[in-house]
Amino acid sequence: MTTPTRPSLDDPSLTIPLEHAGIFEPIPLARTERQREFYDLRDGEMLLNMGPQHPSTHGVLRVVLKISGEQVVDLDPVLGYLHRGVEKIAENSDFHQIISHLDPLEYVASLFCEWSPVMSFEKLLDIQVPRRAEYIRVLTGELNRIASHMLFIGWYALDLGGITPILWSFAERDEIVEMLAAITGAKLLFNYFRIGGVNGDLNHDFMSRLGDWMSRAGAQLEAGMGLLNENEIFVRRARGLGILDRETALRMCATGPNLRASGVPFDIRRAHPYSVYPELEFEIPTRREGDSLARYLLRMDEVRQSLRIIDQCLHQMPDGPVMARLPRLLRPRPGRAYSAVEGPRGQYSCYAMSDGTDQPFRLRIHDPSFLHLQLVGLLMPGNLIADTMAIMASLDPVMGGVDK
Amino acid sequence: MDRAFRALIERTFGDVLTGPVRQRHDETEMRIRPGDVPQVMRTLHDDPRLRFEYLGDLAGVDTGTDFQVVYHLWSVVTPDWLRVVADGIPRDQPRIPSITFLWKGAEWMEREAYDMFGLVFEGNRDLRRIYLPDDFVSFPLRKDFHLPDDASRSPGGGVRPMEDAPTPADAAATTVRRTATAR
Amino acid sequence: MTAYWNRLSVGSRAFLIVVPALLVVGAILTVGIALLLPPVLGFLGANLPLARFAAAATAIIVVTIPTAFVIIYMELKVIAAMNLRVGPDRVGPYGTLMSVVHGLKVLAKEDFTPRGVDVPIFTLAPVVVFASIPLTMLVIPFAPGIFGQDFNIALLYFFAISGLSVVGLMMAGWASFNKYSLLGALRAAAQAISYELPLTLSVVGIIILAGTMSLNSIVQLQAGSFLDWNIWKQPLGFVIFFIAATAEANRTPLDMTEADQELVAGFATEYSGMRFGFFFFAEYVNVFVVSALSAVLFFGGWNAPFDWPFPVTLNLDPGGMGLGLIFLIALAPVVGTIILGLPFWLLSSRVSTLRALVIGFVLFNLLIVGAFMGWAFISAAWVSGLVWMVLKTFVFVFIFVQMRGTLPRVRVDQLMSFAWKWLLPAALLNIFVTAIAVSILANR
Repeated sequence: MTTPTRPSLDDPSLTIPLEHAGIFEPIPLARTERQREFYDLRDGEMLLNMGPQHPSTHGVLRVVLKISGEQVVDLDPVLGYLHRGVEKIAENSDFHQIISHLDPLEYVASLFCEWSPVMSFEKLLDIQVPRRAEYIRVLTGELNRIASHMLFIGWYALDLGGITPILWSFAERDEIVEMLAAITGAKLLFNYFRIGGVNGDLNHDFMSRLGDWMSRAGAQLEAGMGLLNENEIFVRRARGLGILDRETALRMCATGPNLRASGVPFDIRRAHPYSVYPELEFEIPTRREGDSLARYLLRMDEVRQSLRIIDQCLHQMPDGPVMARLPRLLRPRPGRAYSAVEGPRGQYSCYAMSDGTDQPFRLRIHDPSFLHLQLVGLLMPGNLIADTMAIMASLDPVMGGVDK
Repeated sequence: MDRAFRALIERTFGDVLTGPVRQRHDETEMRIRPGDVPQVMRTLHDDPRLRFEYLGDLAGVDTGTDFQVVYHLWSVVTPDWLRVVADGIPRDQPRIPSITFLWKGAEWMEREAYDMFGLVFEGNRDLRRIYLPDDFVSFPLRKDFHLPDDASRSPGGGVRPMEDAPTPADAAATTVRRTATAR
Repeated sequence: MTAYWNRLSVGSRAFLIVVPALLVVGAILTVGIALLLPPVLGFLGANLPLARFAAAATAIIVVTIPTAFVIIYMELKVIAAMNLRVGPDRVGPYGTLMSVVHGLKVLAKEDFTPRGVDVPIFTLAPVVVFASIPLTMLVIPFAPGIFGQDFNIALLYFFAISGLSVVGLMMAGWASFNKYSLLGALRAAAQAISYELPLTLSVVGIIILAGTMSLNSIVQLQAGSFLDWNIWKQPLGFVIFFIAATAEANRTPLDMTEADQELVAGFATEYSGMRFGFFFFAEYVNVFVVSALSAVLFFGGWNAPFDWPFPVTLNLDPGGMGLGLIFLIALAPVVGTIILGLPFWLLSSRVSTLRALVIGFVLFNLLIVGAFMGWAFISAAWVSGLVWMVLKTFVFVFIFVQMRGTLPRVRVDQLMSFAWKWLLPAALLNIFVTAIAVSILANR
């Protein structure tokens, strides 16, 4: 078997002179309509660069705010500070290698951005995943969802100026993360799901920690939430802020909690069931208000539902292998596969194309944070500078996923 | 696989389909010409028998010979994902109508496809680079993109020059580009 | 001579240099003091108010920094406890020196002047902010006889001078050549204007009751038990005062000017090194000043909350002991150390003799210091007054710190509407009610 040779950085023959490289010429585009609208300032307006180094932009994000006094007239997010070109990397790695590259995309809930590519590769390869592995995926995934939501709660309070809740929720998150570290060996980028299963069965350490935590999780979460839910300043700041109505949410391709907070009961776990979710009993919480408070409270409700799912998983989990039997070298038939999972921020999906080699021909990663960051530009105008972060945090974008 | 849905698609879009409707696992795939995208999408979105209100994904693809734009849609009427492939976009004129009139949220996904493939979405009012610097020259996810020559040809060698906020007095003096020697 | 010098050790060389130098300095000082002291004393005696002012200003500036250190340490520890953290625990016992090290760090950092700033104003702004706060401390009576100046317009002076710090913030914000700083400064100005009004109006009730603006007189009028404090006469006034004071001191939940999630650090964004340190210290001293004023106006100042239930008199006459006094001073430490160390020495064989002696020595010292302090507390009015005053002040400091750990920040428009729609009418109502009550009582 001959592997196709890749161009080397030092090969002088590959340097194409500029005048011959016609197809690389960018199609000349003047300032876009939107740019003209945004960067032409009227009287009394000024631009304010928020980021890329700012205490609360949730990663390396730059937002150009057009402000008039304290009021935000418009804003223009500038992305790309964390861009690694993971889709290009994936085209040059084989199917097993890709998974570890995908982890840092969604560094807060990294199991979910492993899950959808793994599912689409399994579709390409026609692999049947053992049922125990599916249950383990759901179990760890729901744990990770709770961990992610706990971080959201803390961050949201922090962006509104409250410094205590983040440490309370981190204490909670840390217990889950320690649990997952017991089976995956990592606390942030788990790299746990494999094509055809997971990277190891549940062990005693995990189970004892989980049992210990489950016995008091519910009460502990409620206690922690009381810190914010009944705080007058917090509720007054979040209520009625950044209202996203049902039609707009659908038109803006919002997913996950942000869509459900606007009254659309769309959850891929029920809308397009995958894994063993059809066998589990849980509700899809929705709220009608569509404001920041609703988005915050909806995530609280989701945490409760996740606890229910974890409980059921523990009771229904069958015995058996956790990995399917696979050939050592994965070469799917040429074809296309698409799969989506419901993560803590919304729909993570992956579109994989195979040309019959051991590397994907095209791998498209779709991350909800990307679309939710786009929403900020819609919700923000007319609000105050102080609410920029409050609205952005309520949409919960993670810049690793936005920038890919 | 939803056979009835396949029949429905064939019945509704018989004349605009450029290939057979394929089904595998939980996906249904239809192929259309890029020019038909607005009409097909509007039908999919508005037709009471279809009701594809939710846009799952928008991806550009470089097949090596031409470009494709791949849409994934979801509806309550079928358990399948619907994949719409706008096929056969020529390399020298990569133009395709935008779908931002239906899904405003596709704006950034189209920007990303422009950034990576150079696909021009006509009707998108904000089509500019999103991840890469504005002065980047080439399109990295094209199959004929090779890092050593393409990225280095961009001003700054693929490195975005620092945004300087000079005082008005010395604004002109501080703009330093690394390309002065590279060119 | 050189050979002899070369044979000496380093310590001996230092000794040979230092001792003659000290002798010379001592001689010069002795002569100088002998010559200069009488005229200086005469001058001070002739200008007593001036001397008092100079002494008070020096004392306040000297006291300010340690006070800020204590409050910073308190904030670190209290908020850490609320956050399920440990807080500083490495520098000094239980991390007590943490804020001192903070201060040294700030001193040692580069004092950076960014390009494009208005240098003189940029440099002066922290000075203005910092100077205004010790100046307000001048009129606060800490104990009977311990105060800088007793104006009859002390309260007015206080509000006037504390408003000066806003000028410094505006200077910092404008000169920094940074939009965040500018926004922070404008917020500071807007906030100061909005909250000065209810702050000033909330104490008018007290002025009506006391008939004077002198803080000393206000404290003296509250003498007696805790039932005589102004808080019972002006509860609404106190609530308004405290909220407005929170805004004046730029503390959470009303710290609009340096909302770090929105404006990075507000007016202080471009500052580093000790210039930033001035802002930092000014904030904490401001907390102290505002707390002290709350205690003075509403909680009786230096007055004890209750009278000592039984009279205590200590009639010590050290001179009457004659030669015994010298024996006592010589023997008491030795005997006390041994007596207090003995139980530890007997308790366990693992406590070495030396350690037992050290424990005894420390305990003896604590005992003596405690006894002396107790004696001072009972017999000197200013000591007990100071203790009560500092206790009350730190209760309010604690409340400020706890509020910071608990509450999120309000939005800037909520802040404004709260000041104008609620605090200001409430303050006016308070004035009317107080005035009517006073006039009814006067006419009866």
